[in-house]
Amino acid sequence: MPTTVIMPALELAQESGTVLHWLKAPGATVTKGEPLVEIETDKVTTEIEAPASGVLGDVTARAGDVVPVGQTIALIFAPDEARSVGRAPAVAPPPRAGGATAVPAPAATVKASPLARRIAQEHGVDLAQVTAAGGKIEKADVLAHIASEKESAAVEGTAARLSAASPKARRLAAERGLDIGALRGSGPGGAVLAADIAAAELREAPSTPRAEAPGVGTVWRIMAERMTASWTSAPHFYLFREVNVSRLISWRERASTQAGARITYTDLLVKLVAAALSRHPGVNASWKDGAIVRNAEINIGLAVAIDDGLVVPVIHRADTLSLGEIAARREDVVSRAQAGTLRPADIQGGGFTISNLGMYGVDAFNAIVNPPQVAILAVGRIADRVIAVNGQPAVQPTMMLTLSCDHRALDGARGARFLGVLADLLEEPLALLV
Amino acid sequence: MPDAAVRELTYGEAVKEAIAEEMRRDPRVFLIGEDVAEAGHPFKTLVGLVQEFGTDRIIDTPISEPGYAGIGVGAAMTGMRPIVDVMFGDFITLTMDQMVNQAAKVHYMSGGKIKVPIVFRTTLGATRRSAAQHSQSLHAWVSHVPGLKVALPSGPYEAKGLMKTAIRDDSPVVIFEDKMMYRVKGPVPAEDYTIPFGVAKVTRAGRDITIVATSSMVPVALGAATLLEAIGISAEVIDPRTTWPLDKQALIDSAKKTSRAIVVDEGYERYGVTAEIASVIAEGAFYHLDAPVKRIGAMDVPVPFSPVLEDLTVPSSSVVFEAAKALCGKA
Repeated sequence: MPTTVIMPALELAQESGTVLHWLKAPGATVTKGEPLVEIETDKVTTEIEAPASGVLGDVTARAGDVVPVGQTIALIFAPDEARSVGRAPAVAPPPRAGGATAVPAPAATVKASPLARRIAQEHGVDLAQVTAAGGKIEKADVLAHIASEKESAAVEGTAARLSAASPKARRLAAERGLDIGALRGSGPGGAVLAADIAAAELREAPSTPRAEAPGVGTVWRIMAERMTASWTSAPHFYLFREVNVSRLISWRERASTQAGARITYTDLLVKLVAAALSRHPGVNASWKDGAIVRNAEINIGLAVAIDDGLVVPVIHRADTLSLGEIAARREDVVSRAQAGTLRPADIQGGGFTISNLGMYGVDAFNAIVNPPQVAILAVGRIADRVIAVNGQPAVQPTMMLTLSCDHRALDGARGARFLGVLADLLEEPLALLV
Repeated sequence: MPDAAVRELTYGEAVKEAIAEEMRRDPRVFLIGEDVAEAGHPFKTLVGLVQEFGTDRIIDTPISEPGYAGIGVGAAMTGMRPIVDVMFGDFITLTMDQMVNQAAKVHYMSGGKIKVPIVFRTTLGATRRSAAQHSQSLHAWVSHVPGLKVALPSGPYEAKGLMKTAIRDDSPVVIFEDKMMYRVKGPVPAEDYTIPFGVAKVTRAGRDITIVATSSMVPVALGAATLLEAIGISAEVIDPRTTWPLDKQALIDSAKKTSRAIVVDEGYERYGVTAEIASVIAEGAFYHLDAPVKRIGAMDVPVPFSPVLEDLTVPSSSVVFEAAKALCGKA
């Protein structure tokens, strides 16, 4: 039995995957564990390894095909069974003269000359389909039948290319991915002209944006779908806190020196959010089928902008990591997110998300909850602002936090308590030690 | 300088000025042909030249095209720069051997040792009521032959500039003047200038359709462009000025810009200059064309003597206008 290669499920909610390209050609000998094919899911691109050693064959999914999870996309044959390798279906050998079984059974009841019967056999013609000019089928009838079959095949073959269109219109249609055969032409004899392409584009543009349109890649489309789902199903509310971060700033400087690495405010936030989540596990939860499910681990996602959209790589077990480890992990996943080489594991299991737009100069913003999570922290920039200190106006570095919550799983008081703990930690990081 | 810019000459005067200037500039230049000296040419284009340059350099011959064409080729091979005057373009049938088998070949067959700096000066164009043997436009014949360059001046400015370039060129050049245009006036600079071969001229810029026109058909195309403008079609008129060398890129670029092209030439339509240029455009601009390239040439008949019929054989502005309108989908 050959081993099947299937479209794997790389994510919990994944329904299908796209074959990006085969790393092995049909007929190639593959070794178990060798990279075989590159697959793209909603969020990641990954290589699938050969599940067995043998010869690759029966490749049914081509590059670009979207295949449901679990469907067989190829077979790996053991050396002794590698026979139907290749994409084309097995072709039965042409019937030979004298072969007893080649002609379908009805032929036996059709009246035909022996010569006509032989020619029909040689050409694989079903005699029941042949019209006889006289009382029985003669050689000429079979030849006429073969000729007319050929002719109609030729006509069918060319019909598809005969939709009239100017070369320019054809080029424009190809460039824009339009089916020129589906367009009504305004030129002579209904020929499609360049102006018809422009008109068709205008008609299509508002209703059916094409997935291939620049800027709307898979990542972008998924982002649009998930955010729409969240926005239209999760009742959002927002909690705002301004925190004094003068101590956070000095902590970052000390930590960077100690770790001998670049520690960012995001790293500190991951560390402190993990601590706050461990004290308020209700915020580290999912809303699933009408129930609140608490997460077993503290896994914090970071919203990362990449060229074709937004991805959220996860720092797993953030509560168990040192600052240096968090920084190393953050640097790794962010750079791979930007390079498009995240693995499925990198984006799975997030229980809470941090979105930091401080580096873009944003003071504060409201983020959309990333389902099935129930809360997301939006972080603004650190800026010197006037606040009251001991009843006097003072200029201090502060940061604006917004906690967006899904009201189905959190209420204002629970959210506020979590945000309060986080704010205290940001204002006095030493409290971590307590 | 400003005076020179506005000075107007007729097409015929421009030709004569070019020849006179080159003869003054270079003593090797001479002109030979029938009725070119005392008569000053049947079209009066050479009047006065024999008085200035004498009969040694403006040489009358008997009716003997093959003979004096041979004299010209021999003189060119041995260091002179002759202008051989062939009164009617129809008569190049008689000079073909000297043009095609001698002048065009000698440079190559001598391994580049011998140059043939000769100018064959002749005419094209119908509607002069000269009948079938004196009304043809046979420039396609010589454009076909490697080794010959072919110039088709479309107005006084081109007539002078192209003639001077032809005389200074070291290769054999055949220059076809439109015999119906000799009295047409236009601005011609008094100072020395030449027009490079193989450089097309956009005579009128446009957006919707390209009309490639040669020689006598340039004014016809411009007339069509004016008619088209009135119905909202912006036509670009482009004049190749030489059929060889041919400025293919300019023609292709123009067709790419407008997506439609018509080629108009007074030669017979079949197997003609229009066929060659249409093919250049179809190959070079194929994926930018929104309509087939249309050719308009002279009717494929011996030119009739009847004026009514003769006029019908030559493309007119209204014929070009209708064809352009149809190509633009406004039929």
